[in-house]
Amino acid sequence: MSVNIIVAGVGGQGSILASHILAEAAILAESESRDGRRVNVRVGETFGAAMRGGAVASHVRFGDDVYGPLVGRGQADMIIALEPLEGLRIGVEYIKQGGMAVLNDEKFAPVDVKIGAAQYPDIQEIKRALEELGGTVRVVAGTRLAVQAGTAKAMNIVMLGTAFKSGILPFGEQIMLEAIKRRVPRRFLDVNIEAFRLGMQTDA
Amino acid sequence: MANSKINQRAGSRALLMGNEAIARGAVEAGLQLMAAYPGTPSSEVCEALIEAHGESDYYIEWSTNEKIAFEVAAGAALVGARSMTAMKNAGLNVAMDTFMTLPYGGVKGGMVIVVADDPGAHYSSTEQDTRLLAMYAEIPCFEPMDPQEAKDMTRDAFEMSEALELPVFIRSVSRISHASGDVTFGPRAEKRNRIGFNKHYKLPYRWNVYGAPGAVSKHEWLHSVAPKAREAANASTYNKLELARGAKVGIISSGIASSYAKEAMRRLGLSVSFLKLGMIHPLPDQLVGKLLSEIATLIVIEEGDPVVESMVRGFAQENAFQVKIYGKSYDAVFPPTGEINADKATEAIAKAMEIKLEPDNREAARARIRAIVAPRSSTLCAGCSHLGTYWALKKALKKNSGVHIVNGDIGCYEQGGYGLFASKINVSDEESKRHSIRSAYEILDTLYVMGSGIGIAQGQAQVGYSDGKVVAVAGDSTFIHATLPAVVNAVYSQADITFLVLDNRWTAMTGHQVNPNTGVDTLGKKRERFNIAVVAKSLGVKSVRVVDAYNLEEAQEAIAEALEFEGPSIVVLEGECMLQVLRRTKKGRAATRVDEQACTGCELCLQLGCPAVMFDKVKKKAKIDEINCVDCNLCVQVCPHEAIAKRRG
Repeated sequence: MSVNIIVAGVGGQGSILASHILAEAAILAESESRDGRRVNVRVGETFGAAMRGGAVASHVRFGDDVYGPLVGRGQADMIIALEPLEGLRIGVEYIKQGGMAVLNDEKFAPVDVKIGAAQYPDIQEIKRALEELGGTVRVVAGTRLAVQAGTAKAMNIVMLGTAFKSGILPFGEQIMLEAIKRRVPRRFLDVNIEAFRLGMQTDA
Repeated sequence: MANSKINQRAGSRALLMGNEAIARGAVEAGLQLMAAYPGTPSSEVCEALIEAHGESDYYIEWSTNEKIAFEVAAGAALVGARSMTAMKNAGLNVAMDTFMTLPYGGVKGGMVIVVADDPGAHYSSTEQDTRLLAMYAEIPCFEPMDPQEAKDMTRDAFEMSEALELPVFIRSVSRISHASGDVTFGPRAEKRNRIGFNKHYKLPYRWNVYGAPGAVSKHEWLHSVAPKAREAANASTYNKLELARGAKVGIISSGIASSYAKEAMRRLGLSVSFLKLGMIHPLPDQLVGKLLSEIATLIVIEEGDPVVESMVRGFAQENAFQVKIYGKSYDAVFPPTGEINADKATEAIAKAMEIKLEPDNREAARARIRAIVAPRSSTLCAGCSHLGTYWALKKALKKNSGVHIVNGDIGCYEQGGYGLFASKINVSDEESKRHSIRSAYEILDTLYVMGSGIGIAQGQAQVGYSDGKVVAVAGDSTFIHATLPAVVNAVYSQADITFLVLDNRWTAMTGHQVNPNTGVDTLGKKRERFNIAVVAKSLGVKSVRVVDAYNLEEAQEAIAEALEFEGPSIVVLEGECMLQVLRRTKKGRAATRVDEQACTGCELCLQLGCPAVMFDKVKKKAKIDEINCVDCNLCVQVCPHEAIAKRRG
């Protein structure tokens, strides 16, 4: 058994935090299940040279046959895209036949597009492309819901809420909330819990 | 104070980044001194130990370069302390001189050298495999397969270092250092080594390679340790041989590649003999021999160069094993460049064993979809002072005709040489002459390593390059790290070059570490700031100017004057890293706006390269991204039509 998820986005959107919350939850879930089955948890992070605004993808994997930090090509059960173009960039290589993608609908145009040297694909085109590869796609007004929860910065947690609701994660809501609590600064906890709740409720 | 990430109860399990795990391993071993210079992907080893400082007692510093850091750690080990240094692959090249020599006398206290390689060159100029350098220096080399091993190996490496009296090398890679995994904590050592000095500790003039009876005697001693080190490799719990009954195929893997090998074997449902290596140098010959005597085909899976493969080939030939070996050199099943992963390991095993893999029928669709994925070029941050510097440099160069050469360097400003993925470049002599700098990302012509710009500039000038001006750039941290002897060289030889020092006060690219130009030390204590201009003058530079990188007119005038000056000239362009400024000041929505009536659509502002300056192709008007804009005023100065301004009120 293994679960393979990639959180894709742009530097500064909180993809690393989102992936660490998922990994934390996987560790918590195992220590609570007490069935003695060893679950390895890995996060493969790509950051460093990526300045603010660079493409960032964070691979989260857990299961008893997980060793390396990277999801195999065409093997992602889920892509959580904090930015739609980045969801496509990662999805085209990684989404599994029958996998799922949740896309935040707020675009963050690359400099190449801003200067008119490249074109940003339409969000429906992105959705269709991922569906063509065998994925189920949900487009979420993540940023808008985060603003509703209290801050646009909690968009990553809204997206986790929607991803969680998909039923693909092998652990319960309490474990997710505990993982959020452990990873989010205390003064932002209420806003983030509200963001997670809104993400779960959205039926976009 | 809250516990740091690496300070948890023994027996508890938590998610740690590989670099944090290495830091924890050092704490579990009773670390007494840590010294490093930042370099991605190695920096978090030292950062985690800075965060945990106070929970355990050790000295810690960001040194001015890797060689100094290495020597600081070596000095501590010579007086008996447990010390560690960490650096990136290129950092080891800086430390090479001392690195090669220290093993001749060895160490007394345990010394661990952590080097984070970067296969795939995600953050580096090269893909160099530093395991070869551990072999070159003739010291033991460990390679962890996951964060847990990274922690445990680091802890045990101190023990081994003291047992063998040699520094021990830990080779990490980006996928260890910057990956996270579940790690079970061990107990923290309370005991510390006693600090003391014995100039003839077990050997005459132990710490003086020249001391009687000379350096060759020290080299002989180093070789006398080798059999003990090999014994340790054969006995190491990090090297594990699993023989599959009757299997004629075997796999040897090392480090992170063992993770990939295990996944590949699962995917293919293979039952083969498997030697997983964690201590790769010296090669555990007995384990390799046991494996080779059972099999007819061997596949070697490793990240980087064929290092283990070459050692195994030599050993197999010497012992006349009739085994066909696949890896990266002959009948290669892996490409010789780039990073490997579980997919490539699966394909390699399949190729060697002639297993047919299920084809992915989505390739055609993927190729079509890839065409609509817009590139996302890396840029400097909105309002970065380097944008001002590069604009001023471009304008100052334009006043002089010819083909100017701008020699780059390593730091955020290296992005001045990245280009934009979307731009098309033709390869031709004519294009090279015509090539006008269209954006801040096309200004650097040469780009190699820390400090190389000013050295290379001198060669160009001294050999008589006269088709244009010769310029070099470096950041403040790099100025201190690697350019001081080069400045003296330029002064003494009177090289006709202009050197721009981009002073943003921080070692920003690797994550805002401090340097002597920051004004605070590693633990946040206030220090007197290094003064670049005073140092440059005292080194003998006659033309030194300090200007504000956000004042384009002044900056351009200062650079133009420096370009005119005959002999070496320096312009220091000041402008603190904007991310640091924003950390201190609350930023609201920006006030900078484009007056669409005044905007002529000339697109000049785009050439500034600021990610907050946008262009509407339909309206043919510039636009400011109010969320990213920081009101730095650079684009306001760039616009020749006064169409960009801060809105009042």
